[in-house]
This record gives sequence, C-alpha cells and structure tokens, in this order.
Amino acid sequence: MNTATHPVAPEEVMAFLDGELSSAEAQTVSAHLDQCAECAGLAAQFRSTSQLLSGWTVPPVPSSLEESVMAQAAKAADRPRHEKPGRTMQLSFWNWRLWAVGAGGAVTVVLILVAYVASTIYYGDHPRSNPKMAMMVESHEVSEYAPSRAQSQQTDVMKGKIPAAAAGVAQLDSLKDAKSLPEARAIGGGGAPAEAPAATAPMIARTVSLEIIVKDLSISRASLDGILARHRGYAAELTVLAQGPPPYGLTASLRIPAPELAAALADLKALGRVDRESQSGEEVTQQHRDLAARIQNSRETEERLRTILEQRTGKIQDVLQVEEEIARVRGEIESMEAEQQALEHRVDFASVELELVEDYKAQLNPPAPSVSNRIHNAFVAGARSAAEMLLGFVLFVEESGPVLLIWLAILGVPVFLLWRRYRRVKAKF
Amino acid sequence: MEDAFPAFVLHSEAVKPPMNDAPRNPEADSSEAAESDEELMAAFSRGAADAFSALFLRYKQPLFGFFRRRVADPAQAEELTQETFIAVLRAAARYQQTALFRTWLYAIGFKILRAHRRKTAFRATFLGEQPADLEPATQSTIEAQVLMRHAVGKLDPLDREVLLLREFEQLSYAEIAELLSLPFNTVRSRLFRALMALHGLLAAPAPHSSAQEFAQSKERL
Repeated sequence: MNTATHPVAPEEVMAFLDGELSSAEAQTVSAHLDQCAECAGLAAQFRSTSQLLSGWTVPPVPSSLEESVMAQAAKAADRPRHEKPGRTMQLSFWNWRLWAVGAGGAVTVVLILVAYVASTIYYGDHPRSNPKMAMMVESHEVSEYAPSRAQSQQTDVMKGKIPAAAAGVAQLDSLKDAKSLPEARAIGGGGAPAEAPAATAPMIARTVSLEIIVKDLSISRASLDGILARHRGYAAELTVLAQGPPPYGLTASLRIPAPELAAALADLKALGRVDRESQSGEEVTQQHRDLAARIQNSRETEERLRTILEQRTGKIQDVLQVEEEIARVRGEIESMEAEQQALEHRVDFASVELELVEDYKAQLNPPAPSVSNRIHNAFVAGARSAAEMLLGFVLFVEESGPVLLIWLAILGVPVFLLWRRYRRVKAKF
Repeated sequence: MEDAFPAFVLHSEAVKPPMNDAPRNPEADSSEAAESDEELMAAFSRGAADAFSALFLRYKQPLFGFFRRRVADPAQAEELTQETFIAVLRAAARYQQTALFRTWLYAIGFKILRAHRRKTAFRATFLGEQPADLEPATQSTIEAQVLMRHAVGKLDPLDREVLLLREFEQLSYAEIAELLSLPFNTVRSRLFRALMALHGLLAAPAPHSSAQEFAQSKERL
C-alpha cells in the first residue's frame, strides 16, 4: 500500500478509527474506505485487534482500596483549607529539623563557651602558658639579673681584684670598647674574680633575633651605627646587600652590654616595622662555677709544682719533668680562663641577630616591552604551558595508566555486569 | 492539524470497544454529570470533599486497570493505585487547570509506576528478590486472552506502552505524547507499528515457545 495508489496512508486509517483526524480529513478517509477494499480490510484488522484487546479485563477494585483512600481524603478535608496539604507536611518536617538544628547549635555554643572559660582559668594559673605573663616574668628576670651583676662587680672593685675601669661594666661609664671587660677580668688574675658573680646571682647569656622592615636602608644603617655607639655595643659581623634585584637588606650580629639590651632593643625597633622577634636566655651559672673550680684546682697544682721545683733538689731529668708538668698545667689554666672569659662575655654582652629588610618599591616607570615582544612572549609562554600540560598528561597516563586499568578491570567489569542485569530485569517489569 | 485534536477526540464518533474500566462511571455521572474532571479537581482544591469522591469514583477502576495491566502482583497494583490517589490528595493545592486532569493523573501514576519498576528491578538484581507470582484468577483465563497477553508482552516496551495507553486508558495521541515526552508523530507511528506487530503475532503465534517463556510473558503482563 503506498500513497501513489492510495491517497490515504495506513496510519491515517488508524488515526481515523481513533478519532484523531480533523473533520475534513476524516471525511476524506471515510470516503476512501467506502471505495477501497484494501483499506477497508486494514480498518477491519485494526478493529478486530482492538476487539481482542478489549477482552483483557481486570477484576473490580477491591473495597479496601476505596476505604483507605476515602479515609485519607477525609483527613485532608479536615485540614484547614488555607494550609496547603503538602506544604503543611513540609513545614512540620522543617520545623522538626529547625528545632533539632537549633538545639544542636545551642549545645555547641555552650560547649565552646565552657572550653573558653576553662582555658582562661588554666592560663590564669600558669604564667608560662600565657605568653603575656611569660614575657612579664622574663623581663623581671632580666631586670633582676642586671643589678646583681653590677653589685657583684662593685664588690670586686671594693676588694681591689679588678681595676676600676673594668668595674664600670656595672655603670657602663668606662666601656669604651667591647674588650675592656674581659681584659679587666684577665688582668684581675688570681682566680677570685670569677667566683663573686657566680655566688650571688644566676648568669644568663641572652640572645635576641630581630627582623625589621625599614623604609630606607642607608638611613637605617646610619641609625644602627648610632645605636651601637650610644649603647656601647659593637657589630661582631655585618653584611649589607645593596646590589642586584630588590629587596635590599642588612644582616648583622650585634653584641650589646646586657644592662643596655632593653634600651638598645627599643631603639632598634624604632628603625622600622618589626616583622619577627624572638628572645632566649641560657643560664650558664653552673658551667661558670665548674670552670672556676677547675681553674682553682689547677692553680693550686701549679703552685705545688713550683714549690717542689724551688725547694727540692734532684736529677736534671726530674727537674725537666716538673717544668714540663708546670707548663702543661699552665696551658690548661690559660685555656680554661679563656673559656671562662668567653662565657662571661656572653653574659655581659647580649647577642642580637639583626636583619633589616628594605621595603620593596616598584619602579614608577618600568621599561615597557614592545607590543611585538609581548605577543612573542605570550605565544612562547602559551606554547610552553600547552607542551607542559600535554607532557604532564602523557606522564600521568604512563605512570598511572596501568594501575587505572587494573582498577577499571576490578571494579568496572562487575559494575557493568550488574548494570546490564539491572537493565534487563527492569525491562521485564 | 494538532490544534483540532482535543475537541475532536472528545466528540469522536469512532467506534471503540467498551471497557470494563472506562473512565466514566455511570454512578458518578448521574450526580456530577454537569461537571468536568477539571472542574471537580478545582472544586476539591478549594475544599469540596465531595468533588474528590466523584473523581475517585470515575477513576478508581481505570487507574487500577492501568496498574493491574502493568504489574504482576494484584496487591501491588492496589497499593500503587492507592498511592496515586494519595499523591493527588497531597498535590491538590498545586493543581493547575492548564492540563487535563486525566493526563495529570496518569502522569502521577506513571511516575509511581516507574519508581516501583526501578525498586523491583533493583531488588531483583542486587538483593535476589523474586517478583510475586501471578494471581490464580489470571491463570484460569481463557487461552485466547492468554495468547493475546503473550503477544502484547512481546512488543517493544515503548510501543507496548503507547498501545496500552491508547487502548485501555483511551488517551489521545497528544496526551500520550505529553505523558511519555515523545513527539506527536512518533506516538502515531509507534502505535501503528504496535498494532501491526500485534496483529502479526496474534495471526501466527510462535509454535515453539517454551512454557517458561510463556509464563514470563504472562508475568510481564
């Protein structure tokens, strides 16, 4: 059957029987059916199929269905009409959720408050755990130490064991250069000078680390020299970086008399904005005491050896042996005294590791590259990043591909089989 | 041509065989003859409980038939019917008269049916649950009807759905197209294909179909 011999398509016959054609089309098809036996046969075929299908009846609706649905309808009718049924359920649901969320939030806030209060109380009783409190204690220790040292040195002066010039460490009037104090101690000789400070107060070697951002490095450098002169300190090491790409800076290892440390730090901090600061103190009292005792013992040994050498007579070989022993003990004493002086120097002069960094200033008129250069650069950068991306992808595939394939086989095949089975089962229903 | 459909469908003179689950209930028609489905639904959404009763009387049998022809277990068909009416109750406030009530109702039914199919397939696939057996009454049906159901079961799933919606739910082509989200002409061509295939299957039933295949086909219906 085709449209050349039949002006009506078979689907139109079906649509006509289903009442899906407009009145004009229906008239055309109806007229054609009267004339065409083949199309009339097709229509009869459709009717018979529908007739057969109509035999597929279903049993009446169970009465239980009507009862349950009507009961639900009655419930819905009892609800106030201004409330939308579905919305009402949603609201009640959300209300329940809101209550739960609100209660949870309140409990969380209370817990946070309790934790905060508890931590505050704990810190209040424990000064080391509280940074502010710790700082106060630390500064107290420093101030406590300074007068003790001064006092002990004054005591030495009174005893005449160290010259008045060296004793000026306590008052810092005579410290023209940094070596005066150790020299004074060395001059004192005798062994007694080291004992006085150790007996009276703890000896603490202080170390401070500072990083400061300054506006102008040359000005800050000059100010730094002024600060060192004012506080009688000196720079053990100083490196200035003022060439090459910015930022420029200065790194210095300073030695500041311990009593002057607080004032010197305040001056240093005034150079710019403090970016980092750390302070530490190492107690060397015991170490100093040990050294002093050992020196004392060695001196006594030396003294006894000298007495033996002066009072006893013997072979020349024995004399030479005693002299060798005296030289050895003398060497030990000098070595220990040097160590002691270094220790005292560390206590007398706080070490300040300073780093000054100049604020980076962008150039106001940087030389702008030409348009062609910029296009070229952009193209090169783009090509390079594309190549890197491709290379990265290839490397990733090479590196992870086998593992991914194994996992795909382990997980993918069962999932695929389950999915196919699911589709088949679903198609049955 | 499409614009002429609704009016023409409603007043079609085409002869359709009578169904035991025709959408119009005579009992309901006597009391609510003047009111259309859409008017009843609008009245119910405004609070008229009687309007829902009238709608229920009109559509309880067609909707039950809709599910009964697609679900093997009658208890499940009843449950799905109930679920659909409850969904209508809940969604009454959101009903808008832009669509025919019948289309809207079957759209809800279809959503519930699809969810049921998904659930059943999932359980059968992953949990190993077997679907319920057929009801005894179906097994004692006459052979011609069983063969017809067997033939319907062999149709392409979408063709079969279009055929069932047209023949039993008596939806228009436009309504079926809307319900199944298909183009209008696709619905017509699929319906034609289904009718021709069904005729061929009924004229020459498969002589060597096994008993198991036959039972599966019945179960599918």
